[in-house]
Amino acid sequence: MRWSEGRALLSKDCRELFGSTALLLLLLVAGPLTGVAFIAAVRAYAEASGGGALASALSPLDGMLVPAFGAYDLLITFLVPFVAIRLVAAEKSSGALQLLLQTPARLPAQLASKLIALLAGWLACLLPAAAALLLWRSWGGHLAFPETANLLLGHTLRYLVTCSIAIAAASILNGAASAAIVVLSFTIGTWALDFFAAGRGGWPAAVARYTPSAILRQFERGLLGLDVVIASIIVTIALLSIAAIWTAAARPPLLKAAAAAAALILAIAAIAATQHAGSADLSEDRRNSFSSADERLLRSIEKTVTIRIFLAAEDPRANDYERNVLTKMRRSLRDLRIEYPYAGRTAMFDNDDRYGTIVYRIGAKEAVSRSATEEIVLDEMETLAGLTPPRRGQSDYPGYPLNASPRGAATLFYVVWPLLVIVFFVIARRPYSRRTG
Amino acid sequence: MLLEGVSFTARSGEILGVIGPNGAGKTTLFEAIAGFVPKTGGSVECDALFYLPEAIRPWPDRRVGWCLDFFARLFRRQRDREAIEMLQLDQLLEARIGTLSKGEARRFVLALALGTPQAVLLLDEPFDGLDFRQTRSAMSLLRARAAAGRALILSIHQLADAARVCDRFLLLDHGRAIGEGDLRELQTRARKEDATLDEVFLALE
Repeated sequence: MRWSEGRALLSKDCRELFGSTALLLLLLVAGPLTGVAFIAAVRAYAEASGGGALASALSPLDGMLVPAFGAYDLLITFLVPFVAIRLVAAEKSSGALQLLLQTPARLPAQLASKLIALLAGWLACLLPAAAALLLWRSWGGHLAFPETANLLLGHTLRYLVTCSIAIAAASILNGAASAAIVVLSFTIGTWALDFFAAGRGGWPAAVARYTPSAILRQFERGLLGLDVVIASIIVTIALLSIAAIWTAAARPPLLKAAAAAAALILAIAAIAATQHAGSADLSEDRRNSFSSADERLLRSIEKTVTIRIFLAAEDPRANDYERNVLTKMRRSLRDLRIEYPYAGRTAMFDNDDRYGTIVYRIGAKEAVSRSATEEIVLDEMETLAGLTPPRRGQSDYPGYPLNASPRGAATLFYVVWPLLVIVFFVIARRPYSRRTG
Repeated sequence: MLLEGVSFTARSGEILGVIGPNGAGKTTLFEAIAGFVPKTGGSVECDALFYLPEAIRPWPDRRVGWCLDFFARLFRRQRDREAIEMLQLDQLLEARIGTLSKGEARRFVLALALGTPQAVLLLDEPFDGLDFRQTRSAMSLLRARAAAGRALILSIHQLADAARVCDRFLLLDHGRAIGEGDLRELQTRARKEDATLDEVFLALE
């Protein structure tokens, strides 16, 4: 397929998308919703900036970015699927798809064009967020580019995955309503999985690492996990492949189902192969990393470090340890092996002396501890490795308090933005002159 | 609808009419040939084909002219001006597709199909919704395209229209072919000299 044909497809999909009532509603809602979240966040941030230790540790990532972008979480969950479904289902129901399938434009190119058009829609949807960031900067607020871009990437990946789920559902099922039910059921299913896995561990926890909410949480902490980025891209490609398999030439449904299942299995295998592919801490306060001195020491340990955690998966200490220590440890040590001997047990109330202990082994040396506190664990580990723990002072992070009032924001998000959207759509959908009846 | 034992030939330069009552399997036959429904057996041997389904109204929010250009670009061609003129679409180019009447929409999609370069065209009820002047004009256009070397296969349930435009006929009934040939051959087979197409069909079913 030539570039001009690709452009023709993209132009068609963009016109279909930007002329649709579904996108109009999405954009209309995006402004006020972002506004509500942003204004509330700015007020809370100003209150917290009033003084004391809290003010000096204030981070725009937690205080403004995550709450303001939280509006997009809602939009992606509840409105974006309808926009994406409409883009596919409208062509199916109008007969346009039957015509397109007979053109030289290949089906993967047609689906890719839809995805690119949807990304253009996403950019339009992000305009209120961009306005919020500009307002924040104009009031003297601080923004760190890496953590801001990382959060944006997290929401974009979530948007991509949601759109590809919607495209696959709309391709497989007849009728937009059925596709919408499937997509929302999927979302509810991932919430249930999150809830189920929270107190367990094992395979549910491993799978729950890749639910859209869990992926987003990583980005909200300022962590760029390569495995979740790769997983999101693989899932998107797999779902578009399934959509193509279902839309392509007439094959018996069983054959299509087998091909779709094969695509899913391949995707799962690829995701499993890239688990723990590495990560980067993009938060300005380095909340996902040990101090530079500790990281240097830990990196100098060449032997395999084994940590055996005698805690049940539902034990809150296991979660704290995972979040505060292991996440950082994985990124600092060259060769780390983690074992959860009690992962499958409900051992919290067993009369077992080992319960609650964490055993560290480096080579032939072993140490036992019950602490999940970062500094104590680091001292334990570094001493065991024959190293001298560094002096740990205050964090270098200066904190960015801002006592600003969200002036002008309400007018922009509640009045100007909806008016702009309506004017745009009135122009885009203006009635064409019709010279004859 | 299941098709059984349906075998026929359409030659370059001719218009073949697939004739049969509602439910005879005309649309199923076209969809099977075009690859839109699974085949459990049989084969299709032909040059590149284009199938125009019945009663479709693609991209209802877009303009007629935009859609014709879009389709032409995908096939790396220019707008088919002759088809636009003969199907009287030149006054509708700025109209939104969703606002077209049934006959206008049919003429529009007919122009889309005729604008493709495929050697074989499968047109399902091409004259549905057209008035008699428009039908005559569309028939002239189809005849001209067939004369230029394309093979046109039309599904028509109005037998009078079929008799006027088609060179040969494939008679379908309940998923079976009950006759193939020109009107004279079918009359001979039905042993009804000077009979009309519908009389021949009734005699053969």
